[in-house]
Amino acid sequence: MRKLILFVALAGLIYSLAFAEELEYFKVYKPTPGMTADQIMRIKYFNKYTLFAHDVSYTGRAFFIDKSGATRERSTARKRINLGRKSDDIAYKDLNIFTGPTQVKGLSNLSWSYLDPKREQDVWLWLPSLKKIRKISQSASDDSFLGSDFTVEDITTRRFEDETYKLVKEDNFPGYTSEYMKKTYSKDTPCYVIEATPKRTNWYYAKRLVWVDKNYGVNIYEEKYNSKGEKFQTIFRLHKIFDVSGKEYPLQMFLEGKELRSGHRTEIINDTVEIERGLSEKQFTPEVISRSRW
Amino acid sequence: MLKYMLCTLLVLLLPCSMAFADISAGNLTVAGYLKNETSLRIESLNGDLTKFKNILELSGEYDIKDDQLVFFTKAKYWYDAAYGFRDKLDIAGHYEEHIQRTDWLRDCYLDYTNGPWFLRLGKQQVAWGQADGITILDRVNPVDLREFWLPDFVDIRIPLWMANINYSPKLNSSLQLLFVPDFQQSEAAYLGAPFVFRSWTEFNNFQKTMEGIGRAFDITLRPPPRQLHNSTWGLQWSDRVGDLNYTLNFLYGPYYNARNNIYTSTINGVYTYTVPRAFKVWRVYGGSFNKSFTEPGPMQGVTLRGDFAYYNDEPTYVGDPVAGSTKGIKRWDNKFWLIGADKTVFTNWVISAQFAQYILEHSRDKAADRPVQQQYPMNAYTYGPLDPVDNIFTLKISTDFMNQRLKPEVLWSFTDDNQGKVSPKVTYEIKDNLWLTLGIHYFYGNPWDSNGQFRDESQFYTNLKYTF
Repeated sequence: MRKLILFVALAGLIYSLAFAEELEYFKVYKPTPGMTADQIMRIKYFNKYTLFAHDVSYTGRAFFIDKSGATRERSTARKRINLGRKSDDIAYKDLNIFTGPTQVKGLSNLSWSYLDPKREQDVWLWLPSLKKIRKISQSASDDSFLGSDFTVEDITTRRFEDETYKLVKEDNFPGYTSEYMKKTYSKDTPCYVIEATPKRTNWYYAKRLVWVDKNYGVNIYEEKYNSKGEKFQTIFRLHKIFDVSGKEYPLQMFLEGKELRSGHRTEIINDTVEIERGLSEKQFTPEVISRSRW
Repeated sequence: MLKYMLCTLLVLLLPCSMAFADISAGNLTVAGYLKNETSLRIESLNGDLTKFKNILELSGEYDIKDDQLVFFTKAKYWYDAAYGFRDKLDIAGHYEEHIQRTDWLRDCYLDYTNGPWFLRLGKQQVAWGQADGITILDRVNPVDLREFWLPDFVDIRIPLWMANINYSPKLNSSLQLLFVPDFQQSEAAYLGAPFVFRSWTEFNNFQKTMEGIGRAFDITLRPPPRQLHNSTWGLQWSDRVGDLNYTLNFLYGPYYNARNNIYTSTINGVYTYTVPRAFKVWRVYGGSFNKSFTEPGPMQGVTLRGDFAYYNDEPTYVGDPVAGSTKGIKRWDNKFWLIGADKTVFTNWVISAQFAQYILEHSRDKAADRPVQQQYPMNAYTYGPLDPVDNIFTLKISTDFMNQRLKPEVLWSFTDDNQGKVSPKVTYEIKDNLWLTLGIHYFYGNPWDSNGQFRDESQFYTNLKYTF
């Protein structure tokens, strides 16, 4: 019996150590009972950046809606190729292209993200007004992501290593009623509720309360709080599960972000999603975006 | 004036009826805009309108075969009603009231992609280099300076018919070959226009004075004959080493700015100035780089970029800058380099600074047949003195408010001669398809300097753009 306990303990230790490292690309991970907050959040980040797939392509629309209801719209085409390549530290490459309205049509952004969590992205911007590609610095993590109510780190740069985590409770999600869709989503989804505290001091939020789906390890809802304990932002993410060769890929299809202080909100709708198209890394180079026609 | 205002209003309102109409069907995508650009001279805000330009631009893209073969074209028409308000048909109005010749066709090309090959064949513009607002390597296309360097560069470059052939032997590397059989000279503002170069006015004054005393002028434009050896050729190698992206560039072809040579003789008993305006062949050897510091450290978040060019046989004026009189063209080997740095601070404030040096091969000519005061290099724009080493600085600060709906920006460009231009502006997105820009271009400096020559042309401007 003692040998059995020892074996189980050893197996648990090995499992924990495995999760202390980065998860292996192109595999599907789901939370399992008894996982720590850190292990759950590692899976959550793995899924957020779709590291289970070799490539993902989206077309979608974003709506920026102010308190009065005035709405601005952007349409985009996005592609990501995941590489997880240690030889040159490349984690993945993203290409975002505005397809509308005409004023911003063609504006493109190519970013390369690295495995090293302390390393910033390499970013190139195609500027239609100059017909030129420009290398730029990564946007500040607390800046608005393309004018939305999400910050840059909400969408692209926040890493597992940026916060510390505490499991608050396990609970069924009460449901989220979207102002835009006029529907209630994810009601009674079993979740882990995790408190995430940024390691940076004097950061724009003091903590986040994150609801992670127990079945798929994706973040369906979060609330941000300031240092006074006041809630100032909520983000809801609706995922759809895609069956690819028997593997279940959870992908974000709809996001609603609300800035509670200004009453401004952002809706992101992914109209089409394509997975494992066999995209070539050659499509993610500055030379290729400099061939933009718009 | 009311008639023109009403016409403009009608033109702006017309497409409102087709607002948000989806004009993308199948493989065809069509988009465009209507824009009004108005500017007022700051010195006389009592109504000295220097521009009231209405622009219509239409672009069409047709995907012939699965993004492998795509046709793209862009056409543009504009009408500047400010010339109609002048109550006189001056030479500037003749050339600058409407779009000229084939300038309406901005792009017309076929893209072909196959494996490592990419071909773009047709009328197009090609931008080389990393510099913002300073053309060091960006010399493939001629430039339209009828509004000085104020418009966006996409409107400043004059597109040319060319073959743009690219081959990528490996990831992140590309070899580009340009063959440009087409030729157009760079455009400058005409006499009487707000941004006519001082050199042209000076030459015109000289011509009038001489003609007043019975002398004649024989001015001929001599574009290069349409022969293969007069074509422009370009070669660019792009690659990435570690974190550093770089290019190596070579350009050969006619210089796009004509240079005046003046010869005097007596023809039929009349003292005559013969002025051939020639386009000399030159070569550009250069390179560019960019690098973002992504690793943790004091430089993290900084992006450095730079251009270097060695201009072989660049046509350079020499003469007497004090008298504003050119005495000849010398083909010197000049150098132009730039380094720029960009960084985001305080969340969403972007600071972009550049320093450039334009270095002439000689501080003066050494011709034995002319006195020393007639041997100095001259600014081609003003006929003023040209420093042997011209130090140029630019500083741009930009940010945004209201979820990027309101975007203020200020650009200050200046040289060590205490001359420059300050351009603050603010752009506001009224709706998805309606954008308003308000701004000022303030010029300062000596009248013989590139920016200082327009110190009386500082302007307040508005741009209203409706897209569809």
